[in-house]
Amino acid sequence: MSRMVKKAGAFEIVNHWMLAGSCLVLALSGFAFVFHLDGVAALFGGFPPMRAWHNISGVVFAVSLFLTVFSYLPVSLSFSADDMKWLSMGGGYLSRNKKELPPQDKLNTGQKLYYLVLLGMGAVMSASGFTIWLLGNKGLVLLSYFAHNLFFVFFMVAIPVHIYLGTFANPGTLRIMLSGKVPLDWARRRYGKWVSRMGLG
Amino acid sequence: MARMALLVSPELCIGCRGCQSACKEWNGLPAVKTVNRGTFENPPDLTGADYNRIRFMEVPSAQDAQRWLFVSQRCMHCGDAACMKICPSSGALFRAKNGAVVFDKGKCIGCKLCGSACPYGLIRFDQANKVSKCHLCHDRTEAGLTPACVKTCPSGALKYGDRDKLAAEASAAGYSNLYGEADLGGTGVLYAFKDSPKVYGMLQNPAFPAEVHFWSGIKSLAYLGLGATVAASALHYLVIGPHKEEGEEVKKDE
Amino acid sequence: MTNHWIDFRNADVILVMGANPAENHPIAMKWIARARERGAKLVVVDPRFTKTASKADLYAPIRPGTDIAFLGGLINYILQKGLYFREYVVNYTNASYLVNPEFKGPGQLEGLFSGYNEKARQYDKKTWSFQMDEAAGVPRKDPSLRDPHSVFQLMKQQYSRYSLERVSAITGTPADKLAAVYQAYASTGRPGRAGTELYAMGWTQHTVGTQNIRAMSIIQLLLGNVGIAGGGINALRGESNVQGSTDHGLLFNSLPGYLSVPTASMADLAAYNDKNTPKSKDAKSVNWWSNKPKYMVSYLKAIYGAHAKKENDFCYAWLPKLDEGMNASWLMIFDNMIKGRYEGFFAWGQNPACSGANSNKVRKGLAKLEWMVNVNLFDNETGSFWRGPGVNPADIQTEVFLLPACSSVEKEGSITNSGRLAQWRRKAIEPIGQSRPDAEIMNELYFRVKGLYRKEGGKSPAPILELAWDYGAPGPDGKIEKVDISRVAMEINGYYLEDVWDKKAVPPKQLGKKGALCASFVTLQADGSTSCGNWIYSQSYTQKDGKAVNMMARRSKEDPTGLGLFAGWAWAWPVNRRILYNRAGVDPNGSPWDPKRAVIKWEALAIDKVTGKPGLWKGDVPDGPAPPLAAKGGKYPFIMKPDGMGAIFGPGLVDGPFPEHYEPLESPLQANPMSAKVRINPAARMFYTAQGGLPEDVFANADPRFPIVGTTYRVTEHWQTGVLTRHLPWQMELQPQQFVELSTELAGQKDIKSGDKVTVSSARGKVWAVAIVTERFRPVMVMGKVVHQVGLPWCYGWQYPTDGSGGDSSNLLTPTIGDANTLIPETKAFMVNVQKA
Repeated sequence: MSRMVKKAGAFEIVNHWMLAGSCLVLALSGFAFVFHLDGVAALFGGFPPMRAWHNISGVVFAVSLFLTVFSYLPVSLSFSADDMKWLSMGGGYLSRNKKELPPQDKLNTGQKLYYLVLLGMGAVMSASGFTIWLLGNKGLVLLSYFAHNLFFVFFMVAIPVHIYLGTFANPGTLRIMLSGKVPLDWARRRYGKWVSRMGLG
Repeated sequence: MARMALLVSPELCIGCRGCQSACKEWNGLPAVKTVNRGTFENPPDLTGADYNRIRFMEVPSAQDAQRWLFVSQRCMHCGDAACMKICPSSGALFRAKNGAVVFDKGKCIGCKLCGSACPYGLIRFDQANKVSKCHLCHDRTEAGLTPACVKTCPSGALKYGDRDKLAAEASAAGYSNLYGEADLGGTGVLYAFKDSPKVYGMLQNPAFPAEVHFWSGIKSLAYLGLGATVAASALHYLVIGPHKEEGEEVKKDE
Repeated sequence: MTNHWIDFRNADVILVMGANPAENHPIAMKWIARARERGAKLVVVDPRFTKTASKADLYAPIRPGTDIAFLGGLINYILQKGLYFREYVVNYTNASYLVNPEFKGPGQLEGLFSGYNEKARQYDKKTWSFQMDEAAGVPRKDPSLRDPHSVFQLMKQQYSRYSLERVSAITGTPADKLAAVYQAYASTGRPGRAGTELYAMGWTQHTVGTQNIRAMSIIQLLLGNVGIAGGGINALRGESNVQGSTDHGLLFNSLPGYLSVPTASMADLAAYNDKNTPKSKDAKSVNWWSNKPKYMVSYLKAIYGAHAKKENDFCYAWLPKLDEGMNASWLMIFDNMIKGRYEGFFAWGQNPACSGANSNKVRKGLAKLEWMVNVNLFDNETGSFWRGPGVNPADIQTEVFLLPACSSVEKEGSITNSGRLAQWRRKAIEPIGQSRPDAEIMNELYFRVKGLYRKEGGKSPAPILELAWDYGAPGPDGKIEKVDISRVAMEINGYYLEDVWDKKAVPPKQLGKKGALCASFVTLQADGSTSCGNWIYSQSYTQKDGKAVNMMARRSKEDPTGLGLFAGWAWAWPVNRRILYNRAGVDPNGSPWDPKRAVIKWEALAIDKVTGKPGLWKGDVPDGPAPPLAAKGGKYPFIMKPDGMGAIFGPGLVDGPFPEHYEPLESPLQANPMSAKVRINPAARMFYTAQGGLPEDVFANADPRFPIVGTTYRVTEHWQTGVLTRHLPWQMELQPQQFVELSTELAGQKDIKSGDKVTVSSARGKVWAVAIVTERFRPVMVMGKVVHQVGLPWCYGWQYPTDGSGGDSSNLLTPTIGDANTLIPETKAFMVNVQKA
């Protein structure tokens, strides 16, 4: 049994689940809004309460998203030759034959890119959402409405991808967002650069 | 039921505003505190407590120093209603049997998107931000009555009836411009004009908002995107499999 | 109205002058719109481009108070161009009558008629008479209309002075507009063309108010427009039931049914009848008023019941009498009040502190009272005068009582509209709170006053103690516990008190059975065998098969004539006649002038079921059953006139047999352009003279301090002084504040913008108002000078809304002077100034 190392702190974990939870509520209620799903709305107590859920979740989402910046933005913005190599190897997802991937930092290249995209999409979603909610300007509202809907579609793609990659596709990864601890060996293999940087041996 | 309509004939309107009071009475709407702004016209705009109003316009005339026009203003009850398309709530705005665009405040979520979507800018909201606009007296018309404003109108400036018949009658009476006849899937409120609608301050070329139109066309992409991604993930799992180094074990209890 | 509301749809030309139906009588516009759909022309003459003008085919501006000049020009136009309906004029009017050769008109006497007494401001009307054919006892006539003393020639002479140019200079109406109106209206002088005139307070509320209407009557007679569908002279009444209240004796000088109030010199019934019953020796004249003694006796029987007997002159002595020359009309009430001549005052359903001309005088007058009873739905500026603007409550000794009355929907009763249509209305809801119907308040008051008389005695208690008051079941104390308003209506209709027989018929025919409701006024008697509270309403509540039938409650929608008469809908006085003087709508043979719009039509061969003889009128109820004029036993059409003729020459009025233009009390002109020596109506009573008067009654003519012509009017949203509507937030939303409409030119001069708060002042008072700067009010050119005009509604008052945001009554500006005949105040033309507040 390998030594366990702390991959994620409490703040990071709690914030992740706030983001994830609000995102799911937003997605679910958003789906019901777009397609007038009375059954889904009933879960929230009808459409008017569902709007309250959606708006409050929107606030949580926006705040959470902002807080992720402290955890992930600096690392996501640091790219090196290893990232290019990682990308050229398709992150190892494209073949059954697993080859050695270049060592990765706290986030691997795919996670970094995913984070940046998520941050951008979330920002658009939040901004447009708040515009619809709080601004009366007809032109801005309609534009925001369109952006909100369009990025809703993107989220419909991004959310399952994230879930799949964080669970089935990468067994063991979910632990980071549960206990925050992973075996050192596991970490070394997947986040070698991070392990070195942290001086974990 | 054939599509019904409200025919507004400003040539017959005398600006008595019985329609405004009758509407308030029937719909139990509160008064709005106003001031005289140097015109007979009041309130200055439609509000959630003023489903209709008469616009007073003084325009130049060939014969006299001026013309004084009285033009009823209210929701147009579009055949292709952007408000209904944009509304996120199921049943908050719905199409009545007579073609009117009717609201259900109990289902309205107060997002005001309909207000932004309305090509005419004629949708207003109550104190609780719920949609509050002309519904052609849905409760009355369902019971076989005419809308309260029509019932009150002493001059025949407001008529309610079969849309095609009203349109034909107006044309036969020499009203060459039937505003709203073809706009937005044909509006449920028609205006009979002898001059250009512009003279009466009507919106020129009302257009369905492109954003709403475009989104309506592609919104099923949301289902598609979700479905496709889930399917692709499953396929990936089965075909390529999880990202697992050799010898690595995953134990549930870890 | 001679005609009725729906009848407007039958007109070919509708002249609206002195009225603004689109604003004040919206339903009228429905029928005007129907007429216009048929191709009729709507002509509007008004100082302001009104809502009605906005619907007009032709609009002409006019300076307030110059209507007679305008109409005099039209008379001149019709006569000069020969556009009058000659057959009608010769046969049905007094145009052919020869007038006393000593009569002289304003053309000869510099603005006066013969017989003027300057000191008394009165005319001796001796010369305003006809030359009589001594043998026949009827006026001499010249059917050729050429005799220089004929009414026709005298009229022509007087109005020849009203040239287009002169009229234009006086009225400020551009000459081309004037000519266009004249041409349009005079086109109705042909048979088959109908012209109607709609007026309201814009004509009556002038020092020449009665003569305004007389001028139009002359025009309508010249054009043959009286008695036809789509014709007539139609007063649009200022309240829904003002016709009814006038019919029932509202005015100080008339008893119900327009019977004159006796004066002190008419010592007994015989003297009264002698003085008030017109006589005619012309066999062709019906002279309906010759029946007056029957109506008077039946009235006395109705009010004094069994006490009224032949032996005691039917209690005639109990009727209150006016002093000779006494005037007790509106302006006089408040003139007497401010002079401290009254102890108490009932303000019943009115708000004189706002509605009364020169309201400041009214408000000061109220302070002179010991007590006042305000009967109304709401407290108002009258009831609260003691805490009004500029009043210190500590200075006021008047004790004020408010009796809450309920509204019209909280009680049952009749209402008579402008078209004389009496409609029965049922109660919709029970009275709210402590409020009661007026009749219940009166009942309470009556029994209390009666009790006091019984207990304490007093001067002349009998008229109160013995008053017939049989409107319900009496309680143990003798007081009627609940007024049954139907019994009031039945009393008005009248009863047969005995079996009544037509003794002239052979064999004698029974007209009515004892105890039954009268069939109509035709059966009323002068011997005390019938009672009738108001003869013109007899037939409104009749009897069929032993059961009482409320004719006013009928609701048939059948219209066999197709003219909109709807004879089975409610009931119109007299005897359900919908168009008055309809015998003038047919030629002397009884054929309608316009067969397409026949109000009545004589069918010589049809058998009359009642008489069994040939000859029958079809259509509306004719003015009397007699055959047409040319037939044997035929009668003249104007049955209410002693001579049966339409009066082009009208010697009955106090200020001249022909209307003549005089300036309003306050005008921008130093002198009357028609006659330099007589500026205002010479017979109008002056409250402020060269010798002085009350400071409240001052006026300012051609005064540089007040250079702008002012007028007042109403708005759709408010009722009268707004007591009912200012309490309705919905109505206040629509018309929240006092405003003044003024032209862009005047606003430019005064640096006023739309929405600015301005002060409007007259010699008597001032009000603030929000400026509505508009192209709809234009300055006019009067005698070569630019005259500006402004107008204000009079529906606001300081008391409500309580934050004072509404403003105050524009009657604070209006003068104390009235029409020479009726003393209706001149509130439609006065001089003001406007300044930015």
